[in-house]
Amino acid sequence: MTNQSQPQKFIVPIGPQHPALKEPGHFEFGVDGEIVTSATIRLGFVHRGIEKATEDRTWVQNLYLLERICGICSNIHGTVYAIGVEKLAGVEIPPRAKYIRTIVAELERVHSHLLWLGVAAHEGGFDTLFMYSWRDRETVMDLLEGLSGNRVNYSTNLIGGVKFDINEKQADEIRRGLDFLEERTHYYMKVVTTDETFLGRTRDIGTMTREQAELLGAVGPTARASGVPRDVRSESPYLAYNEHPIQLQVHDGGDLLARFIVRLNELFDTYRLIRELLDHMPAGDLTVRVPRRIPEGEVLIRGEAPRGELVYYLKSSGSDKPDRIKVRTPSLCNWGTISHVAVGHKLADMPMLLVGIDPCFSCNDRLVTVNNTQNSQDLTWDALRRYGIEYYK
Amino acid sequence: MDTTTALETAQSLLQPWAQTVTQPEPHRSDFVVAPADLLAAVQALMDARWGYLGAITGVDLPAPAPAEGQPPAESHLAALYQFFNGAAVATLRVTVTHAQPVLPSICDIIPSATIYERELIEMFGFDIENTPVTDHLLLPDDWPQNVYPLRKSFTGFGGAESA
Repeated sequence: MTNQSQPQKFIVPIGPQHPALKEPGHFEFGVDGEIVTSATIRLGFVHRGIEKATEDRTWVQNLYLLERICGICSNIHGTVYAIGVEKLAGVEIPPRAKYIRTIVAELERVHSHLLWLGVAAHEGGFDTLFMYSWRDRETVMDLLEGLSGNRVNYSTNLIGGVKFDINEKQADEIRRGLDFLEERTHYYMKVVTTDETFLGRTRDIGTMTREQAELLGAVGPTARASGVPRDVRSESPYLAYNEHPIQLQVHDGGDLLARFIVRLNELFDTYRLIRELLDHMPAGDLTVRVPRRIPEGEVLIRGEAPRGELVYYLKSSGSDKPDRIKVRTPSLCNWGTISHVAVGHKLADMPMLLVGIDPCFSCNDRLVTVNNTQNSQDLTWDALRRYGIEYYK
Repeated sequence: MDTTTALETAQSLLQPWAQTVTQPEPHRSDFVVAPADLLAAVQALMDARWGYLGAITGVDLPAPAPAEGQPPAESHLAALYQFFNGAAVATLRVTVTHAQPVLPSICDIIPSATIYERELIEMFGFDIENTPVTDHLLLPDDWPQNVYPLRKSFTGFGGAESA
């Protein structure tokens, strides 16, 4: 029996296809008119089983697999993993390799934050800003391509060092690119902090206090925009962050605007840091030899991905394959904050709120889809091709 | 608080419950804790505001094949509760058997732990008592019951294996 005096609860399902973002996730928002009263999240639509897959591959093969966990922050996965394996093997990479890893990690942060700025502007309906920031992002993509030959999976790392050097000519190109981007970032900062229409969509929206951020386990820029001074690069410096510390960017606002300001300020600091690293690159080798079999042991490695803290747990049983690899990505932690901050806001604010944490679905979802029906079949490439042609005839 | 002091503080906080303490890396201490003492140990760290829960890692520890004529040894599952405080890492290691993989939920103390507990349940087959949500987090809704992909015995559906 339904109690007629009780107000009806409406649930608006969004996703899994195109839930405002171009990645799959399913959300159910309970609404009272336009106001969201509850939010639940279902992930896993692109889970690929990478953790399990690592157990069947050698330490070297896994470097390639893990770099493909994410198409945006690909490099940091490879870097954190390589640091872990080197630690297990007890080898220290040459200083120049550390600097190159740091520079690529920071260039990746620039590209990721600019990508986010564009997506966030797009969800807010500011497509001019979206186009501008993505056009400018091409500058850093070109720099990364110039260094590594690739725009997405730079494949910077080897177990025991890096694959490419940065010569003076490339360093000058990076400096020129950064000068241009810095000028543009000043412009973006001006737009997001002074444009009244834009502020209308970000100011006091999705506010999260420091206590809430800590309780909900937020990480990265999402946490720092709520005043939590947490950044692995300064808490537990790795690579070249010891010699060249970052300036921690924290904001007390806690709202969407603060998340914009923190990420843009981080860009300024990253430009400064890359210039500093380029000016102080030590000379020397790029690699050291690492044995194929990694000694028995366990390590826990943390790194600061563009979205926040990335954790790798590696367990070796002394063979050429890992016994267990666990990846804890930053997006997984930040999802918890969404269901909390969504309540009380208008349904129309949801896309901006979702984007506010800079979610990365491939970060969370890492498992194979297995066809478990009885008549499952393996297709050869030719058969699959023929099937596709027939299907779309 | 520097790393050494942080680890010393963790050691004194966890003293009543830690069965053994090891320090495999300069910044990392491991504390072996009985499942019954897990909640008290987590509460002690949280009350002292010692860092935050970074991850819960499940590890499958299958028993080695028994020697001729010997009864098979028992297989285990371990859950590693990893807490970070600056550069310091404190790991609470809890081990249970495959036959009785029961752990208490720490969600009353740390609400955000729910995602890790759901992962432990679906990937390893832990039985976590009083955890608020037991729905699938990452696996498809139609994933068969009692098949735990991150157990070593799972090698895909080609060989039709279940736990």
